[in-house]
Amino acid sequence: MIKLDNVTKVYNNEVLALRDASFEVAKGEFVFLVGTSGSGKSTLLRLINREESADRGEVWVAGGNINKLSSRDVPKLRRKMGNVFQDYKLLLNKTVFENVAFALEVIGSPKHVIRQQVPAILELVGLAGKQERFPNQLSGGEQQRVSIARAFVNRPLILLADEPTGNLDPATGEGIMRLLDRINKTGTTVVMATHDRNIVNMMRRRVIELDRGIIIRDQARGVYE
Amino acid sequence: MFSRIGYIVRETAANLTRNLTLTIASLLTVVVSLSFVGFVFLIQDAVGNQLGTWKDGVEVSIFMNPDASQDQIDGVKRELASSSLVKQPARYVDRDEALVEIKKLFPSTPEMVELLRDGKGVPTSFRIKPTSTESAVISSFSSQFNKMAGVSLVRSADQAIAFIRKISSFAKWGLGVGALSLLAAAVLLIWNTIRTAMFARRREIEVMKLVGATNWFIRWPFIIEGMVQGLFGAAIACGLVWTGNNLWRSKVIGSFSSSLSFDSLQASPSQFRLVMLLLLAIGAVAGSVASAIASSRFLDV
Repeated sequence: MIKLDNVTKVYNNEVLALRDASFEVAKGEFVFLVGTSGSGKSTLLRLINREESADRGEVWVAGGNINKLSSRDVPKLRRKMGNVFQDYKLLLNKTVFENVAFALEVIGSPKHVIRQQVPAILELVGLAGKQERFPNQLSGGEQQRVSIARAFVNRPLILLADEPTGNLDPATGEGIMRLLDRINKTGTTVVMATHDRNIVNMMRRRVIELDRGIIIRDQARGVYE
Repeated sequence: MFSRIGYIVRETAANLTRNLTLTIASLLTVVVSLSFVGFVFLIQDAVGNQLGTWKDGVEVSIFMNPDASQDQIDGVKRELASSSLVKQPARYVDRDEALVEIKKLFPSTPEMVELLRDGKGVPTSFRIKPTSTESAVISSFSSQFNKMAGVSLVRSADQAIAFIRKISSFAKWGLGVGALSLLAAAVLLIWNTIRTAMFARRREIEVMKLVGATNWFIRWPFIIEGMVQGLFGAAIACGLVWTGNNLWRSKVIGSFSSSLSFDSLQASPSQFRLVMLLLLAIGAVAGSVASAIASSRFLDV
């Protein structure tokens, strides 16, 4: 589903963010990216969703080499993946329903699909009945659930999560983790960058560890270290 | 498709009202610049029409001495009839006709017309339409007839034409340069309005890009916003130009006696409609092009 082949990324010709990274993620797999801040986790995710382009090496997503993607085709790639962020990136002037509907609206889904899909996905993430709330009327955990609903509403092949529990207390973070696990069980490939030791140790999934831009560990059923 | 149109309409309306001061500033610039452009077009049309009637109408008058003999008059007539520079036939204005003309020209001074009542002092004349409007040709033609016996004066309109041409080119250049620089200012202001609108919505745009909205989908509301600004400004400019044109026709052209023959110094209704359409088109194109460029410029994938 995702394949990196000797990928190197340098920012501004001086900051080495990633060096010779190679790994492969199969369909339906769940992968933790761990490492300290600045180790290159976010860069890796941004290379996969084509927010950044690799300076060397190749990135393959869903069978296509995305280095060769023209900018007109980037939207097609993005529709195959959902993104979840530490700071949720919700639109504060829109309700919960509108935030999720927005993701379908802007890719041109018809109204009846929106009316049907959005309540279903909100039910799935445990936000039924909070459709008309605004983001700042919700707790952090609930806001992250909205953002997961938005990322998952068009049933992407891949879910990329960048520190999704970073702003949450351990109990709430665990709830979010269980939700991502449930999404993974539907067959969605999940790549999650985190430095939440407890969650990684609790889940015992594949762990890829980065240190200053270099992959130093790729371990099935790993722990945080 | 319909939800998409609805989306574009909603977003455009929201953008336009969000930056009201900037929207008004660019709108006003569009209005002023396009009004100038409109007036330039109208002046050009009016001058063109006026010159056209003059070219078709009397260009050269040969006034005979009031006491010129019939022989002398016949001599001039023969000479004119054989001239290749004259559209045949040349018209002869006799005393009675000349008197009627004078009455028309000076309706407010009947006492002067009274003095000329017997017609003895009224010069007769030939009215000639030259085949060429080149001023060198006309002036050599004038001097040729000036020398003939019984001719008191040859007058041509070429000086008046040159004068009108000069005034109109002056007005066209002055207004044209002003109009173009204002149009440039309007385009830059629309550009800036769009940039500000995109900056205000950068979070939304970021989310849109991440969930896979196409660039054109993101751009459309901004392009329509620019077009609406251009079009709306052009519509107001049309109103101003329409008012200006009406005032010109009623207060300036209409206030002179028609015998002064400035009647044609105005745009015809069809020319006027064309100018209005041009203004709307320029407004719409300038607005959408400015915002299209701005929105691509600030929308890197």
